[in-house]
Amino acid sequence: MPHIRHSWRLFTFYSCALALTGLVSMLFADLLWRTGWSASRTVLLVLFVILFFLAAVGCMHGIFGFVLRRSGAPQCITQLTDYRAQSIAGTSTAIIFPIHNEDVVRVYEGLRATYESLEKTGQLERFDFFVLSDSTDPDKWVEEEQRWYDLIHELDALGRIYYRHRLNDEGRKSGNVRDFLNAWGRRYRYFIVCDADSVMRGETLVDLVKLMEAHPTVGLIQAVPALVNAESLLGRIQQFANRLYTSLFIAGLNYWALNLGNYWGHNAIIRTEPFMQYCDLPQLPGSKPFGGQILSHDFVEAALLLRENWEIWFAYDLEGSYEETPQGIIENAQRDRRWCQGNLQHSLVLFAKGLRNASRAHLLFGICGYLAGPLWLAFLVTFLWIYWFQKHSGLSNITVHAFTPYLNLSGTAHALLVFIICMVVLMLPKLLAMIDLAYDGKRQRAFGGLARATVGVIGETIFSTLHAPLQMLWHTRFVVTNLFGRSVSWGQQKRAADGTTWPFAIQRHWGHTLMGLVSGAFIWQLDRSLFWWFTPLFTGMAFSIPFSVLTSRRNLGACARKLGLFLTPEETKPPLELVSLRAHLKIHELTSDTAPRRPHSGLAKAVLDPYVNAIHVSLLREKKLNPIYAEQLNKLGVGSPAVRALAEKLLADGPNKLAAAERLLIMVDAHTMVWLHRQSWLCPRESLGPWWRAAIREFSRQDES
Amino acid sequence: MNGIGALTDPSGHLAGRPLEEWNAAYEKVENYFHALRVRNKVLLGQLVLRVLERAMRRAPAEPNHSATQLAAEEMDRLVIEWFAAVLQESSVNADQMLTTRGRLALLLADMPGRWQDQFLRPGPWPEEFVGAMRETYLRAGPDFQLSKMTPRPFDLGPITTLTNFSRIPYLKMALSWILFALLLITIFILTH
Repeated sequence: MPHIRHSWRLFTFYSCALALTGLVSMLFADLLWRTGWSASRTVLLVLFVILFFLAAVGCMHGIFGFVLRRSGAPQCITQLTDYRAQSIAGTSTAIIFPIHNEDVVRVYEGLRATYESLEKTGQLERFDFFVLSDSTDPDKWVEEEQRWYDLIHELDALGRIYYRHRLNDEGRKSGNVRDFLNAWGRRYRYFIVCDADSVMRGETLVDLVKLMEAHPTVGLIQAVPALVNAESLLGRIQQFANRLYTSLFIAGLNYWALNLGNYWGHNAIIRTEPFMQYCDLPQLPGSKPFGGQILSHDFVEAALLLRENWEIWFAYDLEGSYEETPQGIIENAQRDRRWCQGNLQHSLVLFAKGLRNASRAHLLFGICGYLAGPLWLAFLVTFLWIYWFQKHSGLSNITVHAFTPYLNLSGTAHALLVFIICMVVLMLPKLLAMIDLAYDGKRQRAFGGLARATVGVIGETIFSTLHAPLQMLWHTRFVVTNLFGRSVSWGQQKRAADGTTWPFAIQRHWGHTLMGLVSGAFIWQLDRSLFWWFTPLFTGMAFSIPFSVLTSRRNLGACARKLGLFLTPEETKPPLELVSLRAHLKIHELTSDTAPRRPHSGLAKAVLDPYVNAIHVSLLREKKLNPIYAEQLNKLGVGSPAVRALAEKLLADGPNKLAAAERLLIMVDAHTMVWLHRQSWLCPRESLGPWWRAAIREFSRQDES
Repeated sequence: MNGIGALTDPSGHLAGRPLEEWNAAYEKVENYFHALRVRNKVLLGQLVLRVLERAMRRAPAEPNHSATQLAAEEMDRLVIEWFAAVLQESSVNADQMLTTRGRLALLLADMPGRWQDQFLRPGPWPEEFVGAMRETYLRAGPDFQLSKMTPRPFDLGPITTLTNFSRIPYLKMALSWILFALLLITIFILTH
């Protein structure tokens, strides 16, 4: 891609956003001028310019994407060459699933769907699958091992699907991937990173390898994941919005990014050699939350690849790349909390020497995605302050002439014009997405028809209007707590089978409700005509508890589906890999034991079950072949009398009397695990502690059933 | 069965121990074989009795050991001997790992599904079964090709200077005071 052409695209795109921001900001400044300038109005104008620019960039993505899609001239990597004829003989690709205390059944069923889909392409032998576990929960660890064996047994995939558990989770996900690359990276020309909830079509995986083979200067190709499998109302709305609007936004993003794209952490293929050479992440200077380990590693890894002149593309027209979305507003916010900290940390990387400007843009917009919340809150507070001050200072509301007299607008009409422009900028991409849909009959049917899709867009707009104030408050909290060096810690959500429980929603949203009621009352007292303009804002806050609970409900999601609302192409015509995934998950749901598990049930199983114990010990023994792990095991004191003493204590007093680290230490010692197995079955009943007697009784009962 | 019958004494004891003791021993051995997924009840019963018979023979000479203890030891010995024979390893001074290897081989050869009748049976065994037991090997990963990723120099530019400020003692406290002062100034400007 000639550099000049690329720069021209970047210039054109952002100039349009800037020009729009400039014009509307002038109009807004003029409006402020008409009621008398003040310092607080300067603050308001600055906030407006920043927020409007962010909205304008979003709008431009929609406009450019729409024009490119309709003109049929998108420049995507899939259209640069005829890659389909490319041979992938001689290539080797690892498909990795880094996991950390995930829903084990879902991970393996996603892997199974991907594996079976790839098998159908006839190219399976060019791929290996790796489950890379960082799970710290022993129960999860044992379940992962057991289900790994079950899967390779069922698919006859021994030597094709591998499992590796790390002894510590140093470096989190990026550390997990680095550990894989250090052990096996050199065996594979490419690796494809999947998330715990990823599913990928076999043909898409093969296409990604072909594209890499056809373009030797490309370091990474990001396949755009479609949100799927949502059942709650919120999940289905998010899924619908993702499927309908993303096509436009991503085409717009690709317009200016081209070969300077970005990496979203999963559903992407990476050229192993340059990644290993350039993408080991440095530790950031300073203290937490900004210093230390880079949490959101993907953007930085992409920036490091681009710095070394490797290309990164979005393969946004490749179908068959899927992921899932949170099913409730609170879960959504929990995910945002993690991402917020990682994105704010990028502010340290933003000015790093040698980075491409496109990388800086990707990093900056990631940061702004979270800063927009507190900025919007500041804008609202400043606006209300000005309004209140104007009212209580006794100053007149008489407006002076505008700098734009040719518009000949009254003060009210002037304000309304600014408001309408803002709304158009926010809503235009949705409208363009609908027009784009109207042109494509096949796609219309995939969304349940134009009429239903239109109702869906209206419903989604109402939802996002009510959701936005909550996002604003949450993001503000996340940003502020992060800036003060603290992370917001939330306990695990207690979910009912059908979604968020009322007590949990009250616990998480009472502050929002209070804020909604107080701000509503304040504005009502301030000016009743203003009250109605602010209704969407405080309604979302005041009713956040029922809003959060109801949108997490599966039955409401199913009801909307029955009415044909928020339908997506994967719902109207489910692809085979998703059908397979759902079928296997359903079988599991119907056949698995739904009774709550005893604490430490994984440890009990690894000790008592002769086969689970054998698998566990066998994997531990294999670990020792890696010198890094062997050294770590030695450091932990594996094989020492101290571990045997802990094991004796475990047998006598049960796992509750041991610390979590002590239980894990026992579980990484192969000889101790074999010893425990023998002792638990050979020792007379009376010499075992009561916990083990109960565990054996329960194990024997389960085994019989 | 005849062997056990011969060990019954007139008081109703078996090998000098009350029946309840042997019942507990039976349960213990049965549970373990059940855990190994030996599901055929006839076979299961036979295997348990075989173990108990060996335990009963030892019982008179070892009055300090309970019937359960003797049965558990005999079960362990029988299983180890059988694994050693099938896997062609020595059972004398057998490494603890022999039982692990044996159990893994049972699983990989699909003993619970295909070869229940061969479990603990003296040889010769069907070739396919022996082959499956001896050749199976659980591989959790391919051969290592070890390397070491190292971070490249990364100049953060002006941010490096800023992060150096964070090392100043009491920086947060000073910053919060400055912020407070700025807030007062802002309020003053806004209200005048």
